[in-house]
Amino acid sequence: MAPNPSRKRQSRRGAAQSGMSLSMENGIHYHLPETVSEAVGLLARHGAAARALAGGTDLVPALKLGILGARHLVSLRRVPGLRDIALDGDRDVVIGALATLRAVATSPLVEHACAALAEAAGRTGSPLLRNRGTLGGNVCLDTRCWYFNQSEAWRASRDRCQKAGGARCHVNERENRCVALFSADTPAALMVAGARVELAGPSGMRWIGIEALYSGEGRAPLALAPGEIVTRIRIPKPLAGWRTAYVKHAVRESIDFPILGVAAGVELAPDGTIHAARVAVTGARSAPVRLPEVENAVGGRRLADVGDGDLARIATRALGPLFLSDAVPHKRLLAGLMTVDALARAAGEDSGRRRS
Amino acid sequence: MKRLIQLTVNGQAHDLVVTPVGTLLDVLRDDLGLTGAKRGCDLGACGACTVILDGRPVNSCLTLAVEADGSDVATIEGVAAPGRLHPVQEAFAVHGAVQCGFCTPGMVLVTKSLLDECPEPEDRQIREALSGNLCRCTGYVKVLDAVRAAARRLRAREGVR
Ligand SMILES: Cc1cc2nc3c(=O)[nH]c(=O)nc-3n(C[C@H](O)[C@H](O)[C@H](O)COP(=O)(O)OP(=O)(O)OC[C@H]3O[C@@H](n4cnc5c(N)ncnc54)[C@H](O)[C@@H]3O)c2cc1C
Ligand code: SF4
Repeated sequence: MAPNPSRKRQSRRGAAQSGMSLSMENGIHYHLPETVSEAVGLLARHGAAARALAGGTDLVPALKLGILGARHLVSLRRVPGLRDIALDGDRDVVIGALATLRAVATSPLVEHACAALAEAAGRTGSPLLRNRGTLGGNVCLDTRCWYFNQSEAWRASRDRCQKAGGARCHVNERENRCVALFSADTPAALMVAGARVELAGPSGMRWIGIEALYSGEGRAPLALAPGEIVTRIRIPKPLAGWRTAYVKHAVRESIDFPILGVAAGVELAPDGTIHAARVAVTGARSAPVRLPEVENAVGGRRLADVGDGDLARIATRALGPLFLSDAVPHKRLLAGLMTVDALARAAGEDSGRRRS
Repeated sequence: MKRLIQLTVNGQAHDLVVTPVGTLLDVLRDDLGLTGAKRGCDLGACGACTVILDGRPVNSCLTLAVEADGSDVATIEGVAAPGRLHPVQEAFAVHGAVQCGFCTPGMVLVTKSLLDECPEPEDRQIREALSGNLCRCTGYVKVLDAVRAAARRLRAREGVR
């Protein structure tokens, strides 16, 4: 994938006439399997050279920027049954990986099972993106970085970084290890919901907890076996008194990836005591992360008894040092404040507080 | 490797030969000569390329043409008969909601699809629906005026019928 200056300077008209968008490379193969087993067979056969294609709202920009590192696109659009959102018996809500974010955001089943998920899906990108972007694509989103998600011309001014196949990391120079950020909105909410993910691969199906889907590696953020895809996502039936909320902070509220997203869930007694809590953060590391120290700090207490200042400090400390790969130096402090907001909203104690 | 696809665009069926990386926007503009959908950022962030794909507004710059095979596409060219204006277009013109005009086709299509689904939107819903369509002349106030006016016009027209 060496930068190709002649292609870079290709005129817009020339690019259009050859049927390509600007800076898209040729030699891309498109596959249209009709079944899950056909899809995973194709993905396994082409290995690292292949990618699953769902809504394409992240994959197509990557293709245009020349950072996709795959030559085979395996479209999932003909694979049947992966768009449904349904109750499994009278218990869990099961969402097909190809359900659009719009469908997830507006589904009464999802709203009831996990309000934070409906909210996170409804705040992902713009309405236009949510009409095509899928939940599976969001859960499997690639990590992002200031030095990586750029045009060929921009990237040509310095060495290719590790994620782009080079030797160096321009962010984490000391350890020289990719720390690109995982910035999808819905996975934080899915962690709080205790969601499970169905994977299909060449050797069959398996279910894993959503947290086990992530490797924590910036270069390859998903812990998937070769050929594996996400087929369904299961939200367990919520306990009585379980309430959730999602808080997002982005440069532009209308469309941008989260600088940070915090999802919170609380099991609330009628007197406001929190029996148990879950908190998860997206946008801070190469995987979405839980904050167990915060969960323990509020467990068995009422939110008001913990105190906002202490809670924010616990969250900031729990998150630990962060790489400033997106130049947001106040991110750790922000995470503290957003954790307070998310817990307060989940617990219904947000009156008079900032709504974000 | 090229592929043959079928698209219905503004009610008319087309057979087209496309490459795997050609977008719906490329096909509309370069093969069909429908230049109403604009190439703005070309990365899904501005909404100038908006078209209605199987009933929902999407970014045509992020939709691979091969993925749209068999779909029904509505573009700005199809919202009204030649030489006429759709009530949404007329409201945009009357209320000065058009400055340079580059974002206008996308905004009109998003507005039309909002009003088809929700004839009496609250301001919150209008803002939300248009939040993926950027105007760099910064003319959102008049756009809101136009959408409210278009909603009233369309409701009145329904009432008359
Ligand atoms: C302007 C702009 C703003 C955006 N804002 C946000 C935002 O605020 N929040 C956010 O989270 N995202 C945002 N996105 C990214 C993207 O739109 C969403 O994350 C969307 O949910 C991706 O889904 P998709 O179906 O389009 O995925 P695709 O682009 O089709 O795929 C994304 C990745 O997931 C893999 N994949 C897809 N489906 C599966 C599957 N079933 N199994 C295994 N792998 C799979 C693909 O191989 C690819 O690597 C934005 C994108 C743009 C262009
Ligand atoms: S963190 Fe380093 S290796 Fe990873 S994408 Fe950024 S610059 Fe590249």
